[in-house]
Amino acid sequence: MSFGGGGGGGRGGRGGRDAKGGGARGGQKDAGKRYFFRRRKVCKFCADKIDYVDYKDVKLLSAFVPERGKVLPRRMFGTCAEHQRKLTLAIKRARNIALLPFAAE
Amino acid sequence: MSDRVYEILFIADPNLGEPEVDTLTAHIQGYAEKEGGRIQKVEKWGKKRLAYNIRKHQEGYYVLIVVEAKPSLVKEVERRIRVTDGVVKFITVRVDEELRKAESRRAARAKVEAKRKRPATPRPSPAEGEEVPL
Repeated sequence: MSFGGGGGGGRGGRGGRDAKGGGARGGQKDAGKRYFFRRRKVCKFCADKIDYVDYKDVKLLSAFVPERGKVLPRRMFGTCAEHQRKLTLAIKRARNIALLPFAAE
Repeated sequence: MSDRVYEILFIADPNLGEPEVDTLTAHIQGYAEKEGGRIQKVEKWGKKRLAYNIRKHQEGYYVLIVVEAKPSLVKEVERRIRVTDGVVKFITVRVDEELRKAESRRAARAKVEAKRKRPATPRPSPAEGEEVPL
């Protein structure tokens, strides 16, 4: 199905190249051309060497919580998986004790 | 089983005066001590605006108590806090494990940094040694 479906001339050709042993290099080159630059976000907690994300630190947490009070996905701030997990827990604890809002009024 | 460290953060009624909050804090400390807890720290944050209304209060008086105790303390102290007037809301969080992990991570980082520095340090020191005769 996939071979038949992708039957456009260009795509078919590339698929053929990939199938050959040497074709992999060509594929990499293609990928290189299509690469566009985007500033890489670095996890703030890793950069600042914050090992323990404290739920009491409203100043720090509020930087990661927008007005609406939501927890935003990792891609917004570039936090690493480990710290995002800790951040989420800290935000939830802070909400419990009214340091952060559940939702904006 | 070694004891654990818990943070008890509670919000006192903002209508209470400063001395009343102090006695309330003392009461809660008393509960914890009665259960065999050792108070590590008591922090009064003062009046803060709440992020949302709790029992029609817009602000609250935050007090943090850090206590080292057995797990059984939490249940008893929480039960007592619930029946205590003047506490709007409270939260108990176990922190020892997280802090220990953070500490070991910091230690590991310090080790790596020391290792990174060590190959660099011997090189400048002979250079300095050469400079001194010059």
